[in-house]
Amino acid sequence: MKNITLRLAWRNLWRHKRRTWITISAMVFSNLLLVFMISLQFGSYRMMIDNTLKSYTGHMQVQREGYNDDPKIRNSFEAIVPLAEKLRLQLGTKRVAARATAFAMVSSEQRSYGLQIVGVEPEYEPNVSTLPGLITQGRYFSDINTEEILVGSVLARNLRIDIGDELTLLGSGRDGSFAAGVVTVTGIFDSGNADIDRSMAQLPLAYFQSLFGMQDQGHSIVINADDLPQAARLQNKASAMLAADRDLEVLGWQALQPGLQQAIQADLASAWFMYAVLIVLVAFSVLNTQLMSVLERTREFGVMLALGFKPAQLGGLVVTETFIMSSLGLMVGALLGVMLTYYLSVVGFSYPGMEEMAGRFNLPDRMYPSLSLLSIFLGPGIVFICSVLASAYPALRLFNLQPVSPMRAA
Amino acid sequence: MKQLIVALAVGLYSPMVISDDIDPRGLIQKAMDQWRGLSSYSEISMTIHRPDWERSMSMRSWTRGDKISLARVIEPKRDSGNGTLTKDNNMWTYSPKIDRIIKVPSSMMSQSWMGSDFSNKDISKSTDILDEYEHRLIETREGEGHLVYVIESVPHEDAAVVWGKEILLIRDDFILLEHQFWDQDEILVKSMQAREIKTLGGRTVASIIRMGKEGAPEEWTEMSVQDIQFDISIQDRLFTLSNLRNPRE
Repeated sequence: MKNITLRLAWRNLWRHKRRTWITISAMVFSNLLLVFMISLQFGSYRMMIDNTLKSYTGHMQVQREGYNDDPKIRNSFEAIVPLAEKLRLQLGTKRVAARATAFAMVSSEQRSYGLQIVGVEPEYEPNVSTLPGLITQGRYFSDINTEEILVGSVLARNLRIDIGDELTLLGSGRDGSFAAGVVTVTGIFDSGNADIDRSMAQLPLAYFQSLFGMQDQGHSIVINADDLPQAARLQNKASAMLAADRDLEVLGWQALQPGLQQAIQADLASAWFMYAVLIVLVAFSVLNTQLMSVLERTREFGVMLALGFKPAQLGGLVVTETFIMSSLGLMVGALLGVMLTYYLSVVGFSYPGMEEMAGRFNLPDRMYPSLSLLSIFLGPGIVFICSVLASAYPALRLFNLQPVSPMRAA
Repeated sequence: MKQLIVALAVGLYSPMVISDDIDPRGLIQKAMDQWRGLSSYSEISMTIHRPDWERSMSMRSWTRGDKISLARVIEPKRDSGNGTLTKDNNMWTYSPKIDRIIKVPSSMMSQSWMGSDFSNKDISKSTDILDEYEHRLIETREGEGHLVYVIESVPHEDAAVVWGKEILLIRDDFILLEHQFWDQDEILVKSMQAREIKTLGGRTVASIIRMGKEGAPEEWTEMSVQDIQFDISIQDRLFTLSNLRNPRE
């Protein structure tokens, strides 16, 4: 019997070829669009996250509990360099680097600014941050204990300094003593991100520790995974390693950069609103088609009931028709979507005016959508389900059908 | 009936009498004069208290008028020689470690002074409250045999001030008992309190002053005046940048 329903449904569909194809093409079009848009979104989020985290924050950081909410110089932990070394060995990655942070007044001959100063391990910092690679003038630190400073390009311009000039640092040490030092500008980096270029200054860690009375202490150990999907696994591993030390915690990028996560969620929410409109439109066009095809077949259905079909079977027939139509739409749409998206994910693409926006969100100026099973089937899957659901109304109408009156009516 | 009206009128009028009688701005001015004199020399110890540590230093301070002051750290040895000079709302700081004088930019004025809970502005601004605020007597209290005037000072629209308002409690002998700093959302941020009052250098002054953040009872800085002399003669060259760098006393 099932077979008969299927065969009937198939034949019914092609009784109105043009109508069926028009409905299917609405699904194909929306599926194509959804696959492309969702892949593009996932791709751009991933790039946004990667680029933001790679420039400085890293995928995760080891910090003393409470430092993230209250980044005070006192919230530090001991023996940071040996701990970073231990993490490198046990996690089997070079992408681990220790840092310390303090607030200080940085003065050139002419200008002074209050800034966050970061002490870094020159040997390992380039593994966790892209900034050392973006030095446009001068060079990186030669040693972990030299009186050298690395500043952003905007800061250098604001302070009116050049390579080789001296800067004075004034601040409070960890023990409350006066921290004061004179350092030579050895490098100026230009990350393209005005915020970072304006507010970032780095010192070698050992010199930083002696300047700010930190002894062997520091504030954070940055750990980077090879890519984002692996970050969670690495974070678990690092957390397990440090479980014995109750003071320390491993914070993922979501905690370190809550703004990033929120920006993505907000963007996703607004995008889903648009997708919902698209999906509802497709569902209504299916509803329209199926309702019409049911109404025009009233007489035919009357005959079928008279021949012994049960109303439930008639309903099943209509749903099966929709099911076949939607499957076609899903397959063709997803296939075309994958083809288009794959092509663009290899060659990349850009649109006018994108560069400015990309600069703001720390993105490259070409977009590369990222295909995954989720991005392929998420949108089309929902279109499929909604279409089948839309056929419920016409199908349910058939349950009240009596054999004789419809035959007369038509 | 007549009596009632009179009583009402008096009742309504009496707060006006107080504010007519007492000029709140004058009160603040007098409180400042009382504290500073024409000039002063003092030895102060400053204690910075935090939940997990505490630190003390001793310093010497000279003032002249309300716009000029010099403070220099004596103890501990490690920090000895660090100093700040303020003149007309400008501030310079000197550190012997780097042997350099640095002018504190206005963007740094709300930062901590010498690591304490006092901001650079608290140390240097001094008379801003007289020139750039509108004052109003909001209450008169009685306590410990003295009258205490509660004055609300609101900065002028165009004043370059971060506070929404400040509230000062001044005793009738012109001792500033408390100075509260409120932000623009009407939330108390920090307050400075006199914790000990005694006679020093021939005047009754607040000898221990504590500045603390609201909501963080374990974070405060206390300035304790060991010795103070008023109205002494101080040579001009004391308040110069070269003296900040090379002290000659």
